[in-house]
Amino acid sequence: MSDTSNITTEEILTPEGIEETIAVLAAKIEDRCGEENLAFVGIYTRGVTLARRVAEVLASRGKTYPVGTLDISLYRDDFDNRGSDLPTLNSSDVPFELDGTRVILFDEVIFTGRTIRAALDALSDYGRPSKIELAVLMDRGHREIPVQPDYIGKSVETELHQYVKVRFREDDDKEGVFLVTKK
Amino acid sequence: MSELKPRKDLLDIESLSLEEIEYIFENAAPFKQLFQRSVKKVPTLRGKTVLNLFYEPSTRTSSSFEVAANRLSADVTNFAVSSSSIVKGESLLDTIETLQAMRSDYIVIRHQAAGVPGIVAKHTRASVLNAGDGYHAHPTQALLDSMTFREVYPDYRGRKVVIVGDILHSRVARSTSTLFNKLGIEVGVLGPGSLVPDGRHDFMTRLHSWDDVFDWGPDAVYLLRVQMERQEGQFFPSISEYHKMYGMHSERIEKMRQLGAYLMHPGPVNRGVEITDEAMSYEKSLISTQVENGIAIRMAVLHWLKPETNKD
Amino acid sequence: MRLFKNGSIAREDSAELQKADLLVNDEGVIVEVAPGIATSDGTEETDCSGCVLVPGMFDLNVHAREPGFEHKETLKTCAEAAINGGVTGIVLMPDTDPPVDSGNLVKSLQDLVSEVSPIAMLPAGCLTKGREGKEFAGFSGMANRGVAMLTDSDHAILCPDLLRHCMEYAKDFDLLVTTHGDTPALTKAGSINEGKVSYRLGLPGIPAISQEVAIDRDIRVAQHTGARLHLQQISTANGVQSIACAKEAGTRVSCEVSPHHLLLTEEDITDYNTHFKLDPPLRGQEDADALLQGLLDGIIDAIASNHAPHTDFEKSADFASAPFGVTGLETTVLALYDRFIRKNVFGWDLLIRKYSSAPRQIIGLDPIAITEGSKAEFFVFDPTSETLVDRDYLKTASPVTPFLGKTLSGAIRETVV
Repeated sequence: MSDTSNITTEEILTPEGIEETIAVLAAKIEDRCGEENLAFVGIYTRGVTLARRVAEVLASRGKTYPVGTLDISLYRDDFDNRGSDLPTLNSSDVPFELDGTRVILFDEVIFTGRTIRAALDALSDYGRPSKIELAVLMDRGHREIPVQPDYIGKSVETELHQYVKVRFREDDDKEGVFLVTKK
Repeated sequence: MSELKPRKDLLDIESLSLEEIEYIFENAAPFKQLFQRSVKKVPTLRGKTVLNLFYEPSTRTSSSFEVAANRLSADVTNFAVSSSSIVKGESLLDTIETLQAMRSDYIVIRHQAAGVPGIVAKHTRASVLNAGDGYHAHPTQALLDSMTFREVYPDYRGRKVVIVGDILHSRVARSTSTLFNKLGIEVGVLGPGSLVPDGRHDFMTRLHSWDDVFDWGPDAVYLLRVQMERQEGQFFPSISEYHKMYGMHSERIEKMRQLGAYLMHPGPVNRGVEITDEAMSYEKSLISTQVENGIAIRMAVLHWLKPETNKD
Repeated sequence: MRLFKNGSIAREDSAELQKADLLVNDEGVIVEVAPGIATSDGTEETDCSGCVLVPGMFDLNVHAREPGFEHKETLKTCAEAAINGGVTGIVLMPDTDPPVDSGNLVKSLQDLVSEVSPIAMLPAGCLTKGREGKEFAGFSGMANRGVAMLTDSDHAILCPDLLRHCMEYAKDFDLLVTTHGDTPALTKAGSINEGKVSYRLGLPGIPAISQEVAIDRDIRVAQHTGARLHLQQISTANGVQSIACAKEAGTRVSCEVSPHHLLLTEEDITDYNTHFKLDPPLRGQEDADALLQGLLDGIIDAIASNHAPHTDFEKSADFASAPFGVTGLETTVLALYDRFIRKNVFGWDLLIRKYSSAPRQIIGLDPIAITEGSKAEFFVFDPTSETLVDRDYLKTASPVTPFLGKTLSGAIRETVV
């Protein structure tokens, strides 16, 4: 627990906890997907890391699936409210045929669901998967659109003024999942 | 996330910082990637209006902007204003008022008088993109030229480009050379004495002949279109003489080949004037890449600029 | 009676200011100039402590736009602007509509002036009919009306043969032939000095030789014919050199420079601001330096503003399309004080010589001074104050000036005329 005046941060998953949760996710996916023509698509930035880590776990069990990446900034519905920040675009990379493929989208946290809606739009501009499913590390509730993950690592109840921050060593300078409360 | 603040307008190269320039290049690459998908569109600018206001004829640039805007799902309207319908000065302010009332989000403007895009930008809330004003500037051309050069030469700093032709009247020469210089690329110029002004940019190294040019050792040769329609008065004896002295033909292409130099041109090409048919099929021509990159750059710029149409 | 107390009087023959009081009678004549003049009943006193009293300025090159272009300026607003700027006499350029090319038109203009203007506004007449450069204007009629000079203003005389004959004919009337040096075939559609700035801004340029070639030609023709020639708006170092040579050779040539060419250069034209679009255009620093030196050395005889009002709407066009010209009557004294007199580059004496005495002498008038017995024609200048050049200050109908929005040192408290 750390305290900086009116901001409190609580670690809800340790690095070991993350490893365990990812293993759970990978098991669930393996269970339900069998020998299908399967592909993973990670949503920038940490959804990509999550997808790769899950793919690694499955690869160690002899199941190799391709991992693509998706940048959804061009599909967001809040273009006018960009504010003064200027986003840098990343290149999306979907190096496999989508038609006839079962795709699992990966994102590290699902919240309102709007990011996933944008990802669905973006993905459909690349092709027509036979089935699209969603895998998330953390589900923090408070949906604003009817989108639900098919594979959840961990659910956590949160208030609207709280943030769930996932940190991966590949993208950040630490590893862990944190619940940040601003008063 | 970068530290950059958004801009409303893109009027010239001088006013861009290196940071902003790199940002545009970084974002152009993902846009270029989209062209390989079967769905080349993204919904980013859906519902936004782009007005193409071209006071000078240009199918090439206006269609490039149109394609860029379409691929961002924006609504594009083309206002082709023929130059004969313009009464000097008076129509401009009236037109600006009309544009304001239409609440366009983006105005792409090409005009024969330098400074007009700046005037429009001052008086409208729309984002104004300068598609070429008089002899002054053509910033998106400069950006696509530099993007193209950097793609073939990732180690572009310290490399050399020679610009050939009508330096005096060319806004492409001014903008592209300014950006090359900003990026650390050396610029040389070759052309008839009457078309290479003393007042040119200080950093433009004057070369006097093709022998000079090949001794100097350029990594790319950038041919300018010879602007017959824009010249008042005679600047050189004839097109055939221009072609002999400054045109790109097979002998010079052979030298290019030996140097491994690339060929660039902003288009459209005047075959038989600045370049021969055979030379057009030179294997290291970047001309079509320039066109492709043009759309990506224009998409990146439309994505980057921030109109003020939502404010009241 | 008016008593101007505690002021310092500026003179053309000395850089020293004369501390004295001034008493002006009800007929507008200066009756006494001495320190410590006693006050008496009925005398209006004006405290001029710290102020300089300067003889009224005279501007040889003013476009008052009436008749024909009253939307830009009228004789009345022009007179008000002149008084506001300490100018008590001007020469009216004949580029009106109709252009002043006959004795009758000179008379009509003189009548109009007398109705609305408290200051002298002397008409110039055209050299050629309608300023078209083809036929003589009505020289004798205009001479009879006392026209100040003959000029086609900014229409260059293209035909050297016609110019020669005009000069030869004008000699008999002792009329001053004035030209505005320009070679249209070199100027073409140019809107700015040809050089680095024109390249950077992407505007068609006007090469210096356009004026220089014309000046050289006019000088040669004047030398050949023996006529008196006045050259307007010298703007380049080479031009100053040509005139120096001509004067050395004894040619009867005089010339003027505008305050703008002394104070500004092409580098000041940023962001396509049309308030800096002049004819001839602003040149480089070397030219501005040479013009100042030419003024100090006596090669340049006079300062003349080329006051050329245009409406805001006209000036709102893009740089290449907007008309050439800015106003100058209300900013010349202030701007020259601010940059030169205040910093001791030159004194009030030089300003009086160049912007009051010499201009009058060039058109055959006597210079004026602040002395006992003279008509009271002067302005009161407060060096301790400041003037913000804005629409409140400017009396011209078209507030177009490169100094718009700037604060200049000094203020003209009052012009007595």
